[in-house]
This record gives sequence, structure tokens and C-alpha cells, in this order.
Amino acid sequence: MRQVRVSLFACLVAVGFLISQAATGDDIADRAKKLHFSSIVLDTHDDTTQRFFSKTFDIGKRNPDGHIDIPRMREGGMNAIFFSIWIDGRIMGAPAVQKALDQIDAVHENVNKYSKDFAFCRTAEEVRRAHAQGKIAALIGVEGGHMIGNDIRVLRMFGDLGVRYMTLTHFYNDEWADSSTAKPEHNGLTDFGKDIVREMNRQGIMVDISHVSDKTFYDALEVSKAPLMASHSSCRALCNHVRDMSDDMIKALAAKGGVIQINYEKSFIDQAYKDAQDKFSGGVVAMMDQLKKECGDNEECLNKKMTEMTDKATAEGKLPHVSWERIIDHIDHAVKLVGADHVGLGSDFDGANMPEGMDDCTHLPRITEALMRKGYSDDDIRKILGGNLLRVMEQTEKVSREMQAAR
Amino acid sequence: MKLGVVLRARLRVGICLLAGMVLAGAMVAVTRAERNTERAKHLHFSSIVIDTHDDTTQRFLDGGFDLGARNALGSIDIPRMKEGGLGAIFFSIWIPSKITGPEAVRRGRAQIEAVLENVRKHSNDLALATTADGIREAHRQGKIAALIGIEGGHLIGSDLGVLRTYAALGARYMTLTHSGNAEWADSSTAKPEHNGLTEFGKDVVREMNRLGMIVDISHVSDKTFADVLEISKAPVFASHSDCRAICDTPRNMTDDMIRALTAKGGVIQINYHVGFLSQEFRNAEKAHPEWDKAIALEVQRRCRGKEGCQLIEGDRITREYVLRGDLPRVEWTKIIEHIDHAVKVAGIDHVGLGSDFDGANMPFGMEDATKLPQITNALLEKGYSEGDVKKILGENTLRLMAEVERVSRELNAAK
Repeated sequence: MRQVRVSLFACLVAVGFLISQAATGDDIADRAKKLHFSSIVLDTHDDTTQRFFSKTFDIGKRNPDGHIDIPRMREGGMNAIFFSIWIDGRIMGAPAVQKALDQIDAVHENVNKYSKDFAFCRTAEEVRRAHAQGKIAALIGVEGGHMIGNDIRVLRMFGDLGVRYMTLTHFYNDEWADSSTAKPEHNGLTDFGKDIVREMNRQGIMVDISHVSDKTFYDALEVSKAPLMASHSSCRALCNHVRDMSDDMIKALAAKGGVIQINYEKSFIDQAYKDAQDKFSGGVVAMMDQLKKECGDNEECLNKKMTEMTDKATAEGKLPHVSWERIIDHIDHAVKLVGADHVGLGSDFDGANMPEGMDDCTHLPRITEALMRKGYSDDDIRKILGGNLLRVMEQTEKVSREMQAAR
Repeated sequence: MKLGVVLRARLRVGICLLAGMVLAGAMVAVTRAERNTERAKHLHFSSIVIDTHDDTTQRFLDGGFDLGARNALGSIDIPRMKEGGLGAIFFSIWIPSKITGPEAVRRGRAQIEAVLENVRKHSNDLALATTADGIREAHRQGKIAALIGIEGGHLIGSDLGVLRTYAALGARYMTLTHSGNAEWADSSTAKPEHNGLTEFGKDVVREMNRLGMIVDISHVSDKTFADVLEISKAPVFASHSDCRAICDTPRNMTDDMIRALTAKGGVIQINYHVGFLSQEFRNAEKAHPEWDKAIALEVQRRCRGKEGCQLIEGDRITREYVLRGDLPRVEWTKIIEHIDHAVKVAGIDHVGLGSDFDGANMPFGMEDATKLPQITNALLEKGYSEGDVKKILGENTLRLMAEVERVSRELNAAK
């Protein structure tokens, strides 16, 4: 009797399943949508912080410009964001520290202002909890070691304020590390730079090697006890830019458990675009310098002008069109190289030129669908969308606990 | 003769009896004292004992100080906190009020970071707490709750963003001024220049309410205090002040001020500094301003620029003056007098402890944190109930913190 009941139940379940399949159809678009909107979609690099200082920007409302706000994050299923703290790499010392703290305060204040939508997170566990509560996890990354003012205590303070990664340099060398876009002066990391990496390990702050010189990368890899991450870099094999990573670097990063978070910036993902841009404006650093003359210290203006300028040049045929599908090429290249456990997303939204079809974060579900069409498993896609980065965070937290206990 | 013998014999018996009675009486007294001590000990070590003002932070910056080791000097370290049953400590962030602007901010941040780093280094014994629940949780885990208080509004460099950064780093109260006026509030020990709080000063108080930071009115002028009471939506406290009715100094609170504070749910945390406890001591100090100068010079000689050393040596040298008979000796029981007076004025729900350890001149018998159980003992002896003693030891401060947190949540929700 009991067996009969069980098999009857199994029959019903099977029939129900078939009906549901028939009703929705085995459509990849639908499956991708479901997968995307049930996953933690984590973006490790967004320059939206700069907009908090603009009088017209309100992250709680849908904005006609830029790439990020709460309504669009909701629409794009983006539910974890690293707000980037950034100032020009030539500002150093005490003013750099104060400006960075002002930006951290602005992130805290905006998260607090929209506490119904945002939850400030410091750990992978907190990100998962925020997701379970239907909130967007807000995290902080500091983009450039120059902002600690050459003082390890400031680094600790950043950690205490919730900063969860620091990019060792920006476009320029800082006092203790070489950048990929400046003339080397420290041969990678100085001894103090190595102390910084160790202290980041101790504080549970992820070491971000985007922007740094290759030598700095290898030095950091050797010194760090926790896995490293590239918060927003793409693959040099597809687009030969110093801001991207060579296959050897990606392999070395992965071998230590790290993750490369693919950047969507056109000149980092498309060789033809990069070559044309180099001719057109002398590269990204030179272009930024040119625009600085118009915008001064207004970073929101800088990003806006940069987009306007490149869009115009593209319309005039001076710069080639770049499709969002190049992002998928970079993800796929990195996955083929090191497997699905070491790749993630680091858009550079609100701080870079987006390819066509990735005009803002509402387009993110495309990535999930494209990967699914490429035959990626649901598990692998979830890892790329956020799981891998959460694993690196957890590993970083573990190393921090061990180092603090071992004192 | 016989009579004489008998008399002598009776006398002997009498002496014997008398001696016996005295002895028995003494024994009864001893047993009673011991019973009290046992009861007091049990009460003390099962209570959450909170001290809202300790200047130990300065010693972190001097270098060479280990909070985890028993120190010969000063009043606070982990072994002595444990021995004295001190369960929660507010580390004070302080710089002289003449330092202002970015330099004040830089030093304020460095001190907070020094506290946080010490909490990390001693995480087996200490836990950072930023809420009343955080203190209770640390207590449950057998750890000492470490908290942060900012002593002086000059430390924010006139910038609400800096105030928010301090709060984000865990600071849970700010004393609006120190000995000098802040840019936006008058101190009790400087010439008034703002008539209390300026408009910006009122904004600071409102922002503190929103951030869930307790507004501390120790050190401020009476007018600043009155302004604060009017503006603050949350109860406020005096982190380390005494009763002016017993010792008339502007750093202490009048009975009217204590009553006004109480009416808004606030707490006065009694300071152990002899100059605030004892009128006699204060008079003697005032009569000889040259001693003050001599002490300051000697402190400079011994410590140079090291502020932690200065605070501790100041206490030691002052004791040398007391031992020479130049300054009057003040006993620790003066603390009990102030607690009792404040309780009589304000009621049992509005009095707590704010020692000023490592930053002031301690009375005899309250040299360091190990002596704290005496306070519990003395209050029980005075007839305070165990529940009342618990309130003074820490529960009043916890209630105040919870209330400040509630107001903060409401203000944040109302935005």
C-alpha cells in the first residue's frame, strides 16, 4: 500500500514536471533569465561613487545617464556592487587620505539613505544574507594605494571602515608600487609595499592587482598569503593592453586561487578599438589628461566627457564599433585558460566606455544568456556571476583570522 | 584582704568578660564585613561594570606600553581590569584643544586606529562594542567590551563628514568640548565666545543623534549644556563629571543641571579625580597656583612630549605633594559621597561611573581598576539594593545607549 502511494506520488511529480516544462518550453532565454535573477550577480568595480558628489545624481532614482542606479540594478539583477573609492594618482599624502575618507563617507551615507534597497557588507556571508533578504549588497574597494598616504595605519582604518579590496596602484606609481601605465621606479613592490600586502592579508582586505605593473603583480603574488584578484582587467591575448593580463599572469593568478574580473571598457576588450584609440587620443591616460583640462577635479564630468568624445568619434568613423559580445569572448578565453573557478565580472561601469549593447547594468542578463548558449553549466555561470569572488573573499577572511590568531 | 582578693578576682573576671565581649563583637563585625565582601564580590563580578572615561589611549601612542601585561604604572591594563571586574571601557580619544583643523583630525583618527589595533591584538580578552547589545554579548563571552569616546569637538575639524567617519570607526560618544572652546561650542573652563552652541554646533548635536553617538556634556559650559538639552532628541550624558554641591568646580554639575539631565533620561558618570571630588583639595590647589606650575614643569621634565606619560606622572607627582602634606589627602570614599548625592538628587536611574583613570589624580584607595569592587561593597553597606548597585555599575549606561540607538534608528527611518 505504501509503495503504491509512493509511486503514485512520483508519477504525479513527473507529470507535473513535464507539464511545467511544456508550459514554459525548454527555452534558453527563459532558463537564463531564471538563473540570472536567482543568482548573486556581483560586480567588483563601479565608479559610481564619484557621482555621489554631484547635485543632480540620485542613486535611488532612474537616471538618464551613467550606468548604475538602484532601479537599473534591480532591472539588471545586479545585487552586489563594489563602490570604488578613487582620486587621481598624482594626489598623495594627507589630502589623498582625506578625499578617500570623504568618498567612503559618501558610500556609507548613500547606503544608509537607501537602506531599504542596500545592505552594507563586509564579508561573503553578509553578501549572501543581503541577497537572501532581497537587498543589494554594497561593498567598498579603494582604487589606488596612493590613498593610504604612505601610512599603514590608514590602511587599517580603511579596513575598519569596511574597505574590502585595495588596488595597489592607479595609473601612476605610488610610493611603494609600480603601475602598468607609468615608468617603473620601484621594480615592482618596495619592501614597504610588501608590508602593505601582508597587512592587507592580516586585515582581510583583498589585494587587487588591476592597474599594477607585471613585476608588481608577480611580487604581490609571491608575498600574499591570500588569493589575489584583478577587480577590473581583461585578457591581453585578445586585446594587447597593459591594463589587461597575459595568459601566463592569469594562470599564475588562478594557481593561487585568485580570480580575474573581466572589465567591459572598449579599449581593454577590443584590439581594433584600442589601436584606433591610441592613434586618436594617444591612449587612455593621455585622453584622461586632455579631458581633465575641461573638467578639473569633477570626476563625474570626466566620465561624461569621455563617453561623449568616444561616442562622437565612433559616429564619425574615427573609432570602430565594439559589441558587448567581446565581454563574452574575454570570459570564455579566461575560462578556457584556467577553468570556470577563476573568472568573474568587474564592469568599470560609470568609469569607462561601455561596448554597444552593454550601455548600462540593465543589460547584464545578456551575459548569463550568452554563457548558457555557449553551453556553460548553471553552476559555472553562477560562479562567474559572483560565486568565485565570494570564494576569494571567504579565503581572504580565513587568512585574516589565522594571521590575527597567530600573533 | 579577702575582699581585696575577691574584688581583684572579679575585676579579672570582668576584664576577661569584657575582653571576650570585645573580641566576640570584633569577630561579629569581621564576619559581617566578610559577608558583605562576599556578597559584594559576587554582585560586582556578576554585574556589567562600565567605565565611560579612560585616557589609556594616550599610552598606546607613547609606545612601550603593553595593555596585555600588568603594568607598575597607571590604572588600566587587561590583568587589572579583570582583577577589578571592569567589564566595559570607553577608551578616550583626546588631544589638547589648542590643536585644531586637519592636524586634529589626523591625530584623532590615529588614536582611534590605535585603539582598534589594540583590540585586534588582544582579541582573546577584548571585543569592540558599539551598542548596548554588543557590550552584553562581550560580557556573555567573558570578554571586556572596548568602546571609543571622542573627548572634544575640536577633533572633528568642523566637518560633519569627519564626525561620521569617527562614528563609522566605532566612536559612540563625543564630548562637545575639552578645556578650551571648540569652534562651535563653549567650554566650562574657557572664556565664553559662542554663547553656548553655535548653529553649526546644533547641527553637530543633531547629526550625533542620527548617528547614534551619545552627546557628552562633560567639560562644556553651563550654557552649552542648556543648549544641548534643548536640541538633542536623545538623552545625553556626562561621561566624567561630579557634583558641584560637594565640590564647586565648573567641571562638575549643579543639582539643577543634574535634575535637568535626568528629566531627559540622561546619566551623570561620576569622575574620581581628586580636584573634582574634594572641595578641600580644590581650595588647596587654588591657594597655591605655583604648585600647579611646578607639577607641570616636573611632568615636562619626566615625559617630554609623551602624553600618556604626562597624564600618569601628573598623578604621581601630585601624590608626592600629598605625602609631603602640601596638598590634602583625599580618600576613595569621596566617590561614594558623590554617587550618593547624585542618586539623592537624580534618582537611582541616572548615575554611573566615569573614572578618568590614566588621565587624572586618583584618590587614595582607588589607585587603579583593581579597586573597583570597593565601590560595590560601599554602596551595599550604605543600604543600596543589589538591583540599584547594578544600575550604577553599568545598567544605567546600557539603558542610555539603547535609547540613543533607538532615536538613531527612528531618525534614519524618518529620512
